[in-house]
Amino acid sequence: MAEFRFLGYLAEISGKKRVDISLGNPKKLRDILKVEFPENRCIVLINQRVGNFDSIIRNGDKVVIMSMISGG
Amino acid sequence: MKGYAGRILRVNLSNGKISKEEISDEMRRKFLGGRGFAAKILWDEVNGIDPLSEENKIVFSTGPLTGLPLPSSGKMVIASKSPLTGGYGDGNIGSMAAVHLRRAGYDVLIVEGRSETPCYIAIQDEEVKILGARDIWGRTTFESQDRLEANHGKTIGVLVIGPAGEKMARFANVISQRGRAGGRPGMGAVMGSKNLKAVVVKGTGKIPVFDEKKLREMGRKGYAEIKAKENYDFWIRQGTMQVFEWCNENSCLPTSNFKEGTFRFSKRMDGYALEGAKVDRKGCPLCNMQCGNIIKDAENRNVEMDYENVGMLGPNIGMDDLRKVGVLNRMADEYGLDTISLGSCLGFLMESSERGLIDVRIAWGDLDACKKVVEDIVQRRGLGETIFEGVRMASQRVGGNSRDWAMHVKGLEISAYNCHACPGMALSFGTSPIGAHHKDAWVISWEISTDRFSYSKEKVEKVVELQRLRGGLFESLTTCRLPWIEVDFGLHWYPKYLEAVMGEETSQEELFDLGDRIYALIRSYWIRENRSWNRKMDYPPSRWFEEPLSKGDLKGYKLDRARYDEMLSGYYEIRGWDENGIPTRETLEGLGLGDVFGGLGIHG
Repeated sequence: MAEFRFLGYLAEISGKKRVDISLGNPKKLRDILKVEFPENRCIVLINQRVGNFDSIIRNGDKVVIMSMISGG
Repeated sequence: MKGYAGRILRVNLSNGKISKEEISDEMRRKFLGGRGFAAKILWDEVNGIDPLSEENKIVFSTGPLTGLPLPSSGKMVIASKSPLTGGYGDGNIGSMAAVHLRRAGYDVLIVEGRSETPCYIAIQDEEVKILGARDIWGRTTFESQDRLEANHGKTIGVLVIGPAGEKMARFANVISQRGRAGGRPGMGAVMGSKNLKAVVVKGTGKIPVFDEKKLREMGRKGYAEIKAKENYDFWIRQGTMQVFEWCNENSCLPTSNFKEGTFRFSKRMDGYALEGAKVDRKGCPLCNMQCGNIIKDAENRNVEMDYENVGMLGPNIGMDDLRKVGVLNRMADEYGLDTISLGSCLGFLMESSERGLIDVRIAWGDLDACKKVVEDIVQRRGLGETIFEGVRMASQRVGGNSRDWAMHVKGLEISAYNCHACPGMALSFGTSPIGAHHKDAWVISWEISTDRFSYSKEKVEKVVELQRLRGGLFESLTTCRLPWIEVDFGLHWYPKYLEAVMGEETSQEELFDLGDRIYALIRSYWIRENRSWNRKMDYPPSRWFEEPLSKGDLKGYKLDRARYDEMLSGYYEIRGWDENGIPTRETLEGLGLGDVFGGLGIHG
């Protein structure tokens, strides 16, 4: 299983704050996600390291997708 | 030049003299407005004095976009020599006072001297009066606003201090409209030192604009663009409180006096918890993305919440209930105390108590103990005497090694972002022109999206870029930066707005130069007013270098002092400042500030 979490308004886009998906083979993140995200306003962290929507995701990975907030 | 009322109103409380002065074209071109004007005035007029003396001045300063029908333009800057830091201090505030001041025919109000008895200044267009304030002295900011509205009508702008400002608590701020706050570095204490309780202003004129039709059309488009942004609805629901979950995820949440970056009770406090408790919303004039979310606090009173307050009065002091946080937040607003510094002061006292350095027991998350400290600060008694000058001075009183957990830069308490694993944000706090504050360059998203652990040149350049825009441009326009930074409203609008208002084109290069000029002047001010200036004043607190995070995904992380030092040198190089962070003669001359170098007291 790979774990996907979405923060802030990106959870509204995904429809869920968290989803766990069993991946047969490693896949690109954008091929796993069923909806489009505003990529230039997103941060993708894969196991605490910076990734992107073309990063390859494997079972066991923990993916967090969050917006580029600006801290007031 | 259009876009300005073109005048400074000067009120001397010592002799009652009221004067109106023209603002020169050179001043407008070089400093634009807001923070730029304030820095120039303080450099020229406030030199080497005690911030709480009669000789200090307080500047209420607007910019060429203030009060116009443009997104979030109801803002002004309040600046003075800070009694908390001893250097340049300012804060912006959203208030009808900003709009009315411009409509009354003034861009800037300077208050100088000291009244013998409590007073307030009442401005209605050309008529300016210094009136007695005995009936509101000692009253909260909310009560005072009510009384002033009863006396002058509801359609006024009010800037008022609470009992904390009257007693000159060094982190007393200025409040407007029962909850809008500004002037963290003790601007309320400066007003208190002058026996100035409030400024009331009503303007009925028009702000001169070069092309009003075009401006209104572009303003309408701007408001519409903001409302159409994909995260607008979410912003309206959570406002700045969406940051809470994000910071907890990224180990940036101020927790236990900045020891940790995550809080185990975060779900009780985050933006979703706020949504569940929300009863209303409020904000500044001319804004269509109001950020003040109102809940009922634990005493069933309305209180306006945002991330900074909740971060500092929540996890930073072990408070795990949003409604309890609300009580402290509301007390701070009523008494006129800065919530960020208050949260840091309470965290400092809790840690000092835990370590046995103070006799009074104040446990993490103890609301009653916190309320007592707030009352003591306002009354200047008990622990209030220890802490009313902020954590830097308190650490001298408490002694031991308490300096290690006094979380400030240059005397100003750090706002609600833990930087154990954010070197860029640590640099931003370190080089902020008022002491540790986030408004000038909040760089955490950018550094996490690239390489958060690096100390790269690109990161330093990003901090400077953000300082130019957030700290230079927006603080001088003077409009709120939140439409741009929070919902991605187009930055390209602002030069267009300026052109419609002033009738002249302004290039990006000119706007960046403006930011650099203001930064160099404010830095020069710090150096002139602090004879013991050295580059260590640009360091964040030692805790982030010495004590690694002990919890969360980033357990074990801390800042590297030598690499921070390299970043700081890189920062000075970009700015054209020397290895001690002092602007060089060449830099100042290149920015049109050649006369400033002589005032630094440096020879060569």
